[in-house]
Amino acid sequence: MRNRVREQRTQRGLSQADLAAGLGVSRQTVISIENGRYLPSLPLAFAIARFFDLTVDKMFDPDDEEAGS
Amino acid sequence: MRSFVPMSVLPARLRKPAVAVLFGGALAIAWLVRGGPLAWAAILPLLAGIARAVVIYQAGGTDTDEGALAASRADERQQLVGLRSRALAGTIVTAGSFVGLCAGIAARANWWWPFAAVLALAGFGYLLGLSSYGSGEPEPEDDAVRSGRPA
Repeated sequence: MRNRVREQRTQRGLSQADLAAGLGVSRQTVISIENGRYLPSLPLAFAIARFFDLTVDKMFDPDDEEAGS
Repeated sequence: MRSFVPMSVLPARLRKPAVAVLFGGALAIAWLVRGGPLAWAAILPLLAGIARAVVIYQAGGTDTDEGALAASRADERQQLVGLRSRALAGTIVTAGSFVGLCAGIAARANWWWPFAAVLALAGFGYLLGLSSYGSGEPEPEDDAVRSGRPA
């Protein structure tokens, strides 16, 4: 599953640590999500989408199966 | 890791170090109760527990998954890492116990039963986990599905 977390974060000029602090998770978890090594839980996926003022389906693309947790 | 001590009263970073000291203390008390001329050596497991607590506390200050777990501030992914690690540890202990049991039986030794006990405990723990975390009985079927109507 591909996601647009890195794209949205860099567009807003945020560091991984900034995003991690905003979401209440660790920097390592943000890195893992961006790299597609970890699929976030539904609550965290919604939190990420809300953080960027987007919907979950705009943030995560289920059609791309290139990565998973 | 569960403990009889009300860990919630402790700051998160001190909880795992406190457990290490408690384990060392429990081992020290067991050694003291055993008695004998080497009873003074009870101080060693206590010191080991304190040393381990210091190591865990220091690890808790690092910006790593291990540090987050040591300081009891793990997020959902880090908790999953901890859970998988404990599951792997359980699998290794179970496999090792099975090998030990087979070796004990083959050697006609009288030390086979501790391996059997560990295996039995592991099986009991697994079943306890299934009953605690599984749904148990099958969920009742949805009315709409049962009657053939679309849900």
